[in-house]
Amino acid sequence: MNKFIVLLKKEFVQMLRDLKVIWLPIVFIFLGITQPIVTYYLPSILGALGGGQGITIDPSMTAQKGGEVLAATLGSQFDQLGFMILVISMMGIIQTDKANGMLAFILTRPVTVISYIAGKIVSNYLIAAFSVTIGYFVSYLYVNYLFTDVSFSHMITALLFYLVWVLFIVSFTTMISTIFNSQGIIALISIVFLIGCRIIVGLSPVIDFVNSASMSKHAMEVLISGSVNSKAIDNALVTLFWIVLILFVINYWIANKKVNHE
Amino acid sequence: MKLEIKNVTKTFREKIAVNNFSMKLKPGECVGLIGPNGAGKSTLIKVIADIIDPQAGEVLLNGKKISKMKREIGYLPQYPNFFHWMTAKETLTFMGQLSGLQKKELTISIPEILTKVGLKGEENSKVGTFSGGMKQRLGIAQALLHKPSLIIMDEPVSALDPIGRREVLNLIEEIKKDTTILLSTHILGDAEEICERFVIIKNGTKIEDTTITELLNRNSKNKIYVEITAKDQEWIDVVKKLPFVEEIEVIGHKVKIIVENIDKNKNVILENALEHEVDIVKFEIHNDTLEEIFLKLVVGNE
Ligand SMILES: Nc1ncnc2c1ncn2[C@@H]1O[C@H](COP(=O)(O)OP(=O)(O)O)[C@@H](O)[C@H]1O
Ligand SMILES: [Mg+2]
Repeated sequence: MNKFIVLLKKEFVQMLRDLKVIWLPIVFIFLGITQPIVTYYLPSILGALGGGQGITIDPSMTAQKGGEVLAATLGSQFDQLGFMILVISMMGIIQTDKANGMLAFILTRPVTVISYIAGKIVSNYLIAAFSVTIGYFVSYLYVNYLFTDVSFSHMITALLFYLVWVLFIVSFTTMISTIFNSQGIIALISIVFLIGCRIIVGLSPVIDFVNSASMSKHAMEVLISGSVNSKAIDNALVTLFWIVLILFVINYWIANKKVNHE
Repeated sequence: MKLEIKNVTKTFREKIAVNNFSMKLKPGECVGLIGPNGAGKSTLIKVIADIIDPQAGEVLLNGKKISKMKREIGYLPQYPNFFHWMTAKETLTFMGQLSGLQKKELTISIPEILTKVGLKGEENSKVGTFSGGMKQRLGIAQALLHKPSLIIMDEPVSALDPIGRREVLNLIEEIKKDTTILLSTHILGDAEEICERFVIIKNGTKIEDTTITELLNRNSKNKIYVEITAKDQEWIDVVKKLPFVEEIEVIGHKVKIIVENIDKNKNVILENALEHEVDIVKFEIHNDTLEEIFLKLVVGNE
């Protein structure tokens, strides 16, 4: 436990020094603002450009409910550009330590592999969750200002669901970073796999059940329909199962010193 | 603490880096692991530091598996690397805390150790700005910080300039008193200076485990070295015919004579030379230097 705190603290100091604690939240704030602003002003921008001649604007677009816009922040901003930036910011999470020998060096000390992994995942999850939350919260404020109000409890429920998906993203990227040695490959595999998960959501109920990306859909549903899908809890449990499995794989990989074999 | 290495074998794909290697270190002993580049020193040391798992064999410290005894080990890698964004002090605090030291102890011991390794005044410099020699010193500092009872160092002085080398050797000399030390080097002179016992490794196999005195005794005092002038070259043929001369080697005016029994034969040769009125420039009993013995061991007997 003690060693875990030391490692966790080191991660935070590092994030502070390379300013990740500042730029990652800013990215998500920016993404959070984008959706409500663009949705609100796009019709008038299009109208101005078209000079009012002949372009018909879909009336539903102007009359969107706040919940839909906030859901689109998750689905169209965070789940696309947002999570790619997240993955890219984390691709070296373990790989860098492997490449410069620090992982092996740290493990010559009386430190368990688990506290090392926990230090990595907890710190990176906290910064990711913080960035997502703050971006989402700013989006919420704009939505409430420009569109119909979203109820606070729906907003929070959706956020919690979404953060489960974020935890999956962080853990999965950490696992790929443990197994592979090139940052490009790590980013590619993580992004392709996670986008794949996100795209296939809704195709089949069976896949949805085991697919962690469904958490993002459940979050959006809460915002759009105002009701919690009963499958959301099951899906959260399945996701936790995947995360435990991922931790197991990372631990196995490092503890068996596979990382030193190049 | 007592270190036992038992039948360790480590292969990388088909390449055998360490081959059925065994040795024992008594508590407080200092042993030099010597071998040319690629001999398997770093691989063996990484097995001892529990960084890589061997295919076969085990390493025990005081009878317990090394992986359970990490608190007792100080390890200096061949190429020490640190987080470049940390300062020297932060690095030592981090490594010290990972070894289980409390912050309070560290505020006292870190300035001490930095002074010892000659990094005083650099405590707040970023490690990223350090030269290779400074990183080496910091590496030594972190290996000693938690006062381990076994210190393993992979080429601690090979990368240093003569002054740094001197300082580090003195430092090791100092810690030798109360620690078991295993250090590797490809330079015999370094090991010779600190350790009495050394183990020679070649192609992953232990080929010698001995002390300096023993090695010198074993390999010496069977050679006579005579330097003569040009006019006495024919005397060499006379010497060749002497019954107790086993081998003769001529390099310019120098003649190396290997005899059966140096104590008995040396005066006979000298008398013989005087009889033939040889103009002797030099007459000496030749001892192989450690370097020569080492080269013979490592290059010879493939
Ligand atoms: N990670 C590795 N993968 C493949 N071969 C390796 C690896 N590490 C070392 N070797 C090989 O094992 C042998 C011993 O290497 P090493 O232990 O570094 O020697 P030394 O430290 O004595 O110079 C060398 O032939 C080297 O090429
Ligand atoms: Mg080496």
